[in-house]
Amino acid sequence: MKRLSLPLRNLAARPGRTAALIVLTALLAAAVFGGSLIVRSLEGGLDSLESRLGADVIVVPVSAASKSDLQNMLLQGTVGYFYMDSGVLDKVRGMAGVETASPQLFLASLRADCCSIPVQMIGFDRETDFTVTPWMRERYSGDLQDLQVIVGSRVNAAPGTSIKIYGENCKVAARLSETGTGLDTAVYGSMETLRSLLDAARGLGHDLKISGDPDKVISAVYIKVRDGYDAESVANDINLHVRKVKAIRTRSMMSDVSGSLSSIAGIVSVLAAAVWVMGFVVLFVAFSAMTRERKGEFAVLRVIGMTRRALAGMALKEAVLIGAAGALLGIGLSAIVVLPFTALIESRLGLPFLVPEPGRLLLIGALTLAGLVAAVCLASAVGAVRLSRADTADILREGN
Amino acid sequence: MKRERLLSALRLALSLLLVIGIKTFLHACVHEDGSFGTCHWAGEAVFGVGIVLAALSALSLLLSGDRAGLGVAAATMPAALLGFLLPGGLIPLCMMETMHCNAVMKPGVRLICAAVFILSGISFFTGVRRGKKA
Repeated sequence: MKRLSLPLRNLAARPGRTAALIVLTALLAAAVFGGSLIVRSLEGGLDSLESRLGADVIVVPVSAASKSDLQNMLLQGTVGYFYMDSGVLDKVRGMAGVETASPQLFLASLRADCCSIPVQMIGFDRETDFTVTPWMRERYSGDLQDLQVIVGSRVNAAPGTSIKIYGENCKVAARLSETGTGLDTAVYGSMETLRSLLDAARGLGHDLKISGDPDKVISAVYIKVRDGYDAESVANDINLHVRKVKAIRTRSMMSDVSGSLSSIAGIVSVLAAAVWVMGFVVLFVAFSAMTRERKGEFAVLRVIGMTRRALAGMALKEAVLIGAAGALLGIGLSAIVVLPFTALIESRLGLPFLVPEPGRLLLIGALTLAGLVAAVCLASAVGAVRLSRADTADILREGN
Repeated sequence: MKRERLLSALRLALSLLLVIGIKTFLHACVHEDGSFGTCHWAGEAVFGVGIVLAALSALSLLLSGDRAGLGVAAATMPAALLGFLLPGGLIPLCMMETMHCNAVMKPGVRLICAAVFILSGISFFTGVRRGKKA
């Protein structure tokens, strides 16, 4: 602490100048940390969506119009339901290149007792499912019973409580881990549970636009393609041979998302880089001006016996203090603005958004802090070197 | 003295932001059928706490440097803590975390109340320290 007492006293003696430099470095830190946090969260969301979907091809009825219906459901949590005859499942299973095919049934609650917005319900086949079950196993090891559901991480329902959907009490068995996608706002149950809810909805007079036998409908078929087969040719094969359905390659859906993600990440990175360049120039000018202004003070310190090395060390310590204070302030402010509002950011961007784990967040913060302190030291070092070369007697003679 | 007045003025500004915000951009969820969820009542409670915080901050501004001002700063801290705990803590909000009450109202109210709590704490402890020196 004693080593820092002179630099600290120097900074305290000029509060206005110190505050201005800290605010400037805080701005830089906020831009870098906030930008990195947003870009990493978008990347994390995409990775999470890719790993959670698990399927190579998804088959939906043509009435689902386009892949955007399914895409909006998976990415933004927009509720949707569409139905096709379950006979499609047998046809798809018989096609070359299909390793596993598992049906899912969708239903939108008009209004759960808790919420003013509809909740997406997804039913999966306990025997064949390979998308929801591995995810569920992270939090729940038992078998889902009838009218027992698991909820996404953004549905505030604790395990053991019940949620009422279409008049039926559904017991919550577990809450899933976060994916940063629309899957977080859905409620999952077995096919039997979904069929019960479908009956309940129809019993209450809701028109679900089901054509055919309501007990033999499914909404989508998730397909895992056999090794050695191309997902695109399997999808094309299904589109060609199975009527009234559309097979969507999940990779093509991913490329749409990753395209939007790259453009947003690009804009954020360019903005952060622009703030960095401008900020560094301003820091450099500010430190140069500050050093020039303090020429006389430094000359006096030299006269009373301070070596050039000690003088440069003092200037560097002041820069480290300013850089660290500014960086911590900027990182803190940025975290306060971004972290509590992730749900809002996700819904406004319409893209998967998964905030990195605390360890990774700390690492991003530490790198920002180190980078900022290094930049401030570099800006200050130029002035300090120039000053150390100047002749003390000349400075004092000039009367500065 | 000058610093205390500045802290009180900041607290007053934040409290007014809470009062105005909860009725505008930090509002609870709007149900299409006109019914109220629990988040509506959480919003009403926060509105009340916001008015109390604004009144305490105004009083603190008038009593800056006074020992009574120190008491007002101390009283503001639990009121701000109450405001922090109301949405989603003492009064449950809607079930979906993407809804306005969870995504905007709760973090917004909590940020403002945390800032008021910290500023009151600074006023209180600097006041106590100054009192000890005197």
